[in-house]
Amino acid sequence: MACEAPAVDEIRRILSTAALALAVGWSGGTIAADAPAALAEADQACLACHAQEGLAKTFGKGESVSLHVQGEAFARSVHSALGCSGCHSEVDLKTHPGGGKTFATAREFSIAQAGACRQCHEDAFEQHKASVHAARIEQGSALAPTCTGCHGFHTVTPKTAYETCVTCHAAALAAHRQWLPNAALHHEVVSCAACHAPKALRMVDLRFFDRATKRWVVEAAGAQTFGKLAGAVDADGNGLDPAELASLLKQVNPDAAALPKTLRGRIELRSNVEAHGLAAKETAIKACDSCHQAGAEPFQNVTVSMTGPDGRPVRHAAQKQVLDSPLAVASLPEFYAIGGTRSRLLDLLFLAALVAGVGFPIGHLTLRWIFRKGKGR
Amino acid sequence: MRIYVHPLPVRIWHWTNALGFVALILTGVQIRYVDLIGLLSFRDAVHLHNAIGFVLIANFFLWLLFYLFTDKIRVYHPELDPEKHFRASFRQLRYYGYGIFKGDPNPHHLSVYEKFNALQSMTYQIIMLLLVPLQFVTGVLLWDLKRFSGMVDFFGGVRVVDTVHVLLFIFFTAFVFLHPYLASLGHTTFGHFRAMLTGYEEVEEAPGPQKD
Repeated sequence: MACEAPAVDEIRRILSTAALALAVGWSGGTIAADAPAALAEADQACLACHAQEGLAKTFGKGESVSLHVQGEAFARSVHSALGCSGCHSEVDLKTHPGGGKTFATAREFSIAQAGACRQCHEDAFEQHKASVHAARIEQGSALAPTCTGCHGFHTVTPKTAYETCVTCHAAALAAHRQWLPNAALHHEVVSCAACHAPKALRMVDLRFFDRATKRWVVEAAGAQTFGKLAGAVDADGNGLDPAELASLLKQVNPDAAALPKTLRGRIELRSNVEAHGLAAKETAIKACDSCHQAGAEPFQNVTVSMTGPDGRPVRHAAQKQVLDSPLAVASLPEFYAIGGTRSRLLDLLFLAALVAGVGFPIGHLTLRWIFRKGKGR
Repeated sequence: MRIYVHPLPVRIWHWTNALGFVALILTGVQIRYVDLIGLLSFRDAVHLHNAIGFVLIANFFLWLLFYLFTDKIRVYHPELDPEKHFRASFRQLRYYGYGIFKGDPNPHHLSVYEKFNALQSMTYQIIMLLLVPLQFVTGVLLWDLKRFSGMVDFFGGVRVVDTVHVLLFIFFTAFVFLHPYLASLGHTTFGHFRAMLTGYEEVEEAPGPQKD
């Protein structure tokens, strides 16, 4: 392994190696300031060196990849329980640093490291292989993302797909505004993959939003109240029906005077794994009626969710009727999609208006004709 | 004799509004029932609907400013007497629902400042000062929900705004059928239609104050 150059770095490397040796051989030693207690001792040992800012792996042509790991951030990441060796099982402490496979470029190294993700995320990896991102990598693009390009390295935390995508696709909103009505709203309530993974199945996720704090409601750590509450309300276990959803909302909002926690809907993929199979933009869904018509596929599956303590949603199934029921005006005032959530009651009223509009003149005219005829006799 | 009851700005407003409302209803039906009707793509229908909506908003102000800045506003309130107005409305309603079949004369006598019967005057005020502005406001909010998110929240959320917009669309759909029919119940079938084109109504007697 070729670490950062000259003398100071070389000294640092030697000291780090010594510290690593001490840590591995002497369990219980406190090694680095940026090594949170939440991490296992073995991980803290790794951080003895990797917590140092500036630690980097260099390649030819002056390229480098940072080897610095923020211990606190790693401890908060979804992968902290796996520990360093969970992903870096190829590291042999007998030869580290310095041993292992060598790479000509940072890109080559990055692509190879995706293999670590594959160990657990084989399904997502397979989806990615068929994606436009993988195709661009294959074509030699230096920008197309590998796993870490979207998810980061050691600080992987749940975040929305939109936040992830616009990191690179910063001009996406401006581009969509060229042709998509209400583009900003679409970007807010439709997951990028819902259109850009056209073969994936979609659904409506109704998530609790706190109107007082103007943030998504996040369940307190260890509470697990939403799952229990939704399960109790949906006693028959067939998904929340419109009346049950209204009941759930009442229980989530016991204080009628306070600003309510409401449900905001989003079109998301039924399986996040399929979000990795992003297609070329030419094949993305552009037909509005794929959502904006009665019976559209995304509106056939509905979940109600609350953001869990770790940022991941805690979901409970709901019946699709919650979207177009007359009760939805009160239960889901903040979610409406033309066509997709079309109310049957309003359809009937429209039909009645047509019948009245056509029927009244015909009826009135007929009566006038009958009376005139009668008078004539 | 002929009396001039529909000044040019009113006629321009009326026919623009008439054509616009029919177009808004048709594009609205296309937007709402894209699974049943395929005359336009959803996107084209939305763009057309929005554009026509803005034309009609401008047209509404033509109507409003004309009546605010001329004495013609009297056509809506010839006499500020609510009791008399409601009595006259009921009499007009009874005529349409009963008297017309017996051959009774129309209780309303048209003049320059009494071009509407009491029922029309009341209905048009509700429509023009409440329902049409509400339809425009809800339409503009739905046109750009992000830009007007504060107002959308104020009204209770996007579904509330949309439900009001659709309920009014349903009302106006019935209206565009009923209005021409009622307009055909003048002294001749096409008399009122001609008047809305030329500005002149044919009346059978000299205009005078309406008798109770």
